[in-house]
Amino acid sequence: MTTSSFAAGAYASMQGIGAGGLLKKPANLAGAGGAAAGMPDFSSLVGKALESTAQSARAADVQAASVASGRSDIVDVVTAVAESEAAIETLVAVRDRVIAAYEEIMRMPV
Amino acid sequence: MDLLKSIAVAASGLRGQAGRMRVIAENLANADSTPERAGADPYRRKIVTFQGKLDRELDAQVVELGRVERDRSAFRTKLDPGHPAADAAGQVRMPNVNSLIESMDMREAQRSYEANLNVISSTRRMLQRTIDILRA
Repeated sequence: MTTSSFAAGAYASMQGIGAGGLLKKPANLAGAGGAAAGMPDFSSLVGKALESTAQSARAADVQAASVASGRSDIVDVVTAVAESEAAIETLVAVRDRVIAAYEEIMRMPV
Repeated sequence: MDLLKSIAVAASGLRGQAGRMRVIAENLANADSTPERAGADPYRRKIVTFQGKLDRELDAQVVELGRVERDRSAFRTKLDPGHPAADAAGQVRMPNVNSLIESMDMREAQRSYEANLNVISSTRRMLQRTIDILRA
């Protein structure tokens, strides 16, 4: 499951940022981009997450279409949709948390 | 992830029971399929077999339909002298399908299918509740 490994990576990198290790590069994100400064690159993180989620959503779409045309098993659609649902919900939940954290920081009186 | 694996394993169970249901439907539909002429064999009841199989990609034991075997028990006979397939004594050989046994098999397939559906919905609930932790 790419999604779950992504989520784990996202948490790890958030933890890396939160722990004040801004200059430390989380192991999971090595080579994921943002390597110039040696920092976890947030946009590449979000990009990867979106890509893997979109991929599973596309797989679910393909299954649904092939059932509609009578080429595939309904059971395959159910599993594909369940997988993409889990992926999308994880992505949305992580996004909400990240945005909440960002807003929290922006509210900080300087 | 294990939760998604268990959904896939339960899905293999659904597929297996669906195949079993198809064979039961064939048996019931052919319960009165007589031979074309005297001396030929009527429809012979089919029996499904299931096999456990290790899915390497999934790293879990899934179930698959094995070979569909034929029931080797004796055929029924029916006295019907006017039938084109009747022998000299007026007996017609009928399939060895017992609709009572098929009904019980069908009920079993139905229950087993529902059990697998329950596994899927429970697993989805577990996934959902886990993701909900993030939202709180």
